[in-house]
Amino acid sequence: MPTLEFRHAVRDALDEELARDERVIFFGEDVAKPGGVFATTPGLYERHGEERVFDTPISELAIAGSAFGAAVCGLRPVIEIMFGDFLPLAMDSIVNQSAKYWYLSNEQASIPIVVRSAIGAGGNFGAIHSQNPISWFHNVPGLKIVAPSTPADAKALLKAAIRDDNPVLFFEHKRLYAMKEDVPDTIDAGRIGEAKVVREGADVTLVSAMKGVHDCLAAAELLAEAGVDAEVIDLRTIRPLDRDAILRSLARTNRLAVVEEGPVTGGWAGEVMAVAAEGALHDVDDLWRIACPDHPIPYSPPLEDAFLPGAEAIAASVRERLGVADRTLA
Amino acid sequence: MSTQTETSPPTADLDGGLELYRRMKLIRRFEDTIQSLFMKGEVHGTTHLYSGEEAVAVGVSSVLGDQDRVAGTYRGHGHALSLGVDPQALLDEMLGRATGVCGGRSGSMNVIDLEHRLIGCFGIIGGSIAAATGASIALQRTGGVAVAFFGDGTTNQGYFHECLNFAAVRKLPVVYVCENNLYGEFTPWEDVTAGQIRSRPEALEIPAQTIDGNDVWTVREAAAAAVARARAGEGPSFIEALTYRFVGHSRSDPGAYRKPGELDAWKERDPLKLARATLVERFGAEEAAIDRVDAEVEAQIETMIERGLAAPYPAPGPVREFKD
Amino acid sequence: MPRLSDSMEEGTIVRWLVEDGAEVEVGTELVEIETDKATMPYESDVAGVVHIGAQAGDVLPVGAEIGQVLPAGETPAPAPAPAPVAAAVANGGGTALLERPETATRVKASPVARRLAAELGIDLATLVGSGPAGRVVKRDVEQAVATPEPAPEPQPVAAGGERGDTQVVELSRIQQTIARRMADAKSAMPEFTVTTDVDMDAAVALRAQLKAAAADGDPVPSYNDLVVKAAALALRAHPKANGSYRDGRFELYERINVGVAVAAEDALLVPTVFDADGRSLGAIAAETRRLAAAGREGRLTPADLSGGTFSVSNLGMFGVTQFTAVLNPPQAAILAVGALEQRAVVRDGAVVPGHRMTLTLTCDHRILYGADAAAFLADIRAALEQPLRLAL
Repeated sequence: MPTLEFRHAVRDALDEELARDERVIFFGEDVAKPGGVFATTPGLYERHGEERVFDTPISELAIAGSAFGAAVCGLRPVIEIMFGDFLPLAMDSIVNQSAKYWYLSNEQASIPIVVRSAIGAGGNFGAIHSQNPISWFHNVPGLKIVAPSTPADAKALLKAAIRDDNPVLFFEHKRLYAMKEDVPDTIDAGRIGEAKVVREGADVTLVSAMKGVHDCLAAAELLAEAGVDAEVIDLRTIRPLDRDAILRSLARTNRLAVVEEGPVTGGWAGEVMAVAAEGALHDVDDLWRIACPDHPIPYSPPLEDAFLPGAEAIAASVRERLGVADRTLA
Repeated sequence: MSTQTETSPPTADLDGGLELYRRMKLIRRFEDTIQSLFMKGEVHGTTHLYSGEEAVAVGVSSVLGDQDRVAGTYRGHGHALSLGVDPQALLDEMLGRATGVCGGRSGSMNVIDLEHRLIGCFGIIGGSIAAATGASIALQRTGGVAVAFFGDGTTNQGYFHECLNFAAVRKLPVVYVCENNLYGEFTPWEDVTAGQIRSRPEALEIPAQTIDGNDVWTVREAAAAAVARARAGEGPSFIEALTYRFVGHSRSDPGAYRKPGELDAWKERDPLKLARATLVERFGAEEAAIDRVDAEVEAQIETMIERGLAAPYPAPGPVREFKD
Repeated sequence: MPRLSDSMEEGTIVRWLVEDGAEVEVGTELVEIETDKATMPYESDVAGVVHIGAQAGDVLPVGAEIGQVLPAGETPAPAPAPAPVAAAVANGGGTALLERPETATRVKASPVARRLAAELGIDLATLVGSGPAGRVVKRDVEQAVATPEPAPEPQPVAAGGERGDTQVVELSRIQQTIARRMADAKSAMPEFTVTTDVDMDAAVALRAQLKAAAADGDPVPSYNDLVVKAAALALRAHPKANGSYRDGRFELYERINVGVAVAAEDALLVPTVFDADGRSLGAIAAETRRLAAAGREGRLTPADLSGGTFSVSNLGMFGVTQFTAVLNPPQAAILAVGALEQRAVVRDGAVVPGHRMTLTLTCDHRILYGADAAAFLADIRAALEQPLRLAL
């Protein structure tokens, strides 16, 4: 089986979709000739040409706004907003133009754009190059939000996002760009809105996305030593949420912890908890979230490490909630 | 309503001239109707009326073809009607009826009618500039041109600066039409704008001109030249059309900020008055022929009001968040 | 009153700019109106004669008539009377207010713990919560049932008194639960009993045959097993006896799950024989053996103890000839079985020995009535007196 690196998964998905559908175009800052600041898109400009792949001025509002206008007129633009932290600069276009068009036009047309962005902390990039903007957009009807955790999923879901007729925010956790995985020769478009149980367990369900999934899997190993059998769900899409997957797992384990890399108050973890509590209160033995404190992301490594919900922190939280020290659960 | 496809400068043509007059008259009476229906509580929220600026929309739209696209503003009834959007459907939308252009979902500020080339009207200024800039990327493939209408206040917005630069760098086929009606909401443009409006596109080396926005033939000529440049691949153009709105910014504005005598002076230059004079003097029209157009528009409006008020409201129901 | 601004809700007439009866054109300014934002003139949109309605100083809501402009010669219709303020409609016979059950002390527990405890008939108040904020969680309920509790330490003896030394024994969790449930049954459920004596001669003969025919190791159905099967079959024809009275309604259950009281360590437990009506006598026998052993050894699981729809309690092995069992809430009925014994009975005018066993049925009178109970008990007796039916 070939090995695929996350960043190449992104490049390959774009490459294949550009080849497949001439309506697809791709633009952003430093994406074409330089190949992307995270080396995610080299070669696309050379293969598909200036008309399909081009560099733009530093103008997030124009980038997002022209993607919107081009989409109204039949193209399928993919744009890159270099860091998720820059998305507020483009927010009017995404929220007030792209997200609302299908409804306001009374379904005359939808906006098939994809907004790719590198997000996430753990690299000591500091407070305004490390944020996770999912929660800022989570509450906007008409937007899909996709957040893969593996190279195979990144490729499958980016293809799906490009083929989706609706505006999709596609978030790539920058700490995953170097991740490698054995994958099949061909990867087809996946399904947006479908979560995946990546580890089965009986005692507690850990729900997360992107890098958080890997932290939860590592936490599950630590918890196994304490006799706690954790189930881990990779959401893969934050909006729309795979409600059924969440409730199915909750019915089995009765305990749900949502792990979010982002400030705890008002984060998307709360929405997952709401879905669980509202939909299956009778199956709830415990329900909580593990997220970051309510302050900006610090730079210095010991400060940033303490800030993020890593495997140790997740395992400790679960042990505490379940009343398990180092002895077994039963 | 037929669309003009010519892109060469307008020739002396009486029928064409009468048609331009008819479109402007329809817009004027439509806006009067909206105003009176608003005061009776039939049109809701707020409205932004185009009365007095008709020559700009009609002049520009009259040189566009089927492959071209337009983005308007929240003061967009004039833009919509100039493109041939069904006046009844537009009225019904203002009245919030199910038969409205957008089924009652958008209301006055956000009208979209793709069948008639109107890619949107935008409640947040600058949106039209973004939409047209983006549209022009797609239209490059079909030889089409995108037009953005916006006001003087928009020339200080982020969209304006980012998108004009973007379009100039990429030589996009887009025409930026600034309707300078001297006021951004209640504030005179010169109080909040450094330098001249035209200087902004000039700094980006975008061809720009300031014209009399109340003479529909002057507007046509400037628009035709800009559209021709765009279609030839020479990139964006900028037209500053000087005009004036006869009613307040919106329904909460009695217009007390106007300078004394200003409104009366501009009413002398009412585009309908100017057009009538030009038709008679330059094209040899008979006053009676023009009067006939007035009467026809009047009858059309009366029927529309009756139909609109009788049209059904939409029933609330399940909404599809996404296209499948 | 025209809507002159987007936020206007009412306006004040400042002054009329024309006289009553004046002729006006389209565009003639008629009146000055003060709104929330400014004072503005209002122009006529028709030509005609003005008939003034409201006066200067009047404050009226948007939409109210302030005057009319009519063609010459027409007389104005009287202004419509303002809509009378709708009399406040009494909310008669409306929806019942939300019933708030009296909460003495509400126990903090997770929803799953609550549900499980209700199913198992465990009183949450008897549990110590190990979850966050001290709430009772699933684990606590499971452990209450599964883990055999060590015998509570007897308290030091209080010496002296009329009754001698007093030893105070704290109740185990199970005992507390039993005590509470018994009190609930007696206080909340209006009960009555019906009793009958069953002629067990045929059953005795059948059992002897079953014993002879049984292979080594196979459990031989006891008389209580026969009762369980007989009751299960009878319950098919008497669904209310298989049900519950709950929240003002009958709940009738599809399955027939007969609880069989067993003695556990210092406690009384009622594990369930599921679908007793469909099981053979042999299967029932095996199951009751298993449950009894588990009860003695403290191995009964929550699943074993839940889901019962009817109960059978037997004190015959202690020589008790008749007793009245207490209902097992929320079940509609419970059958008390006495000892099987030889008695002097009358047959064909002569006094002869016969095997007899006394059954006493206790019923919840909110769901079962005298005739229902009698008929049901009669069916049980009939099945026991013709025991080959039990093989069906």
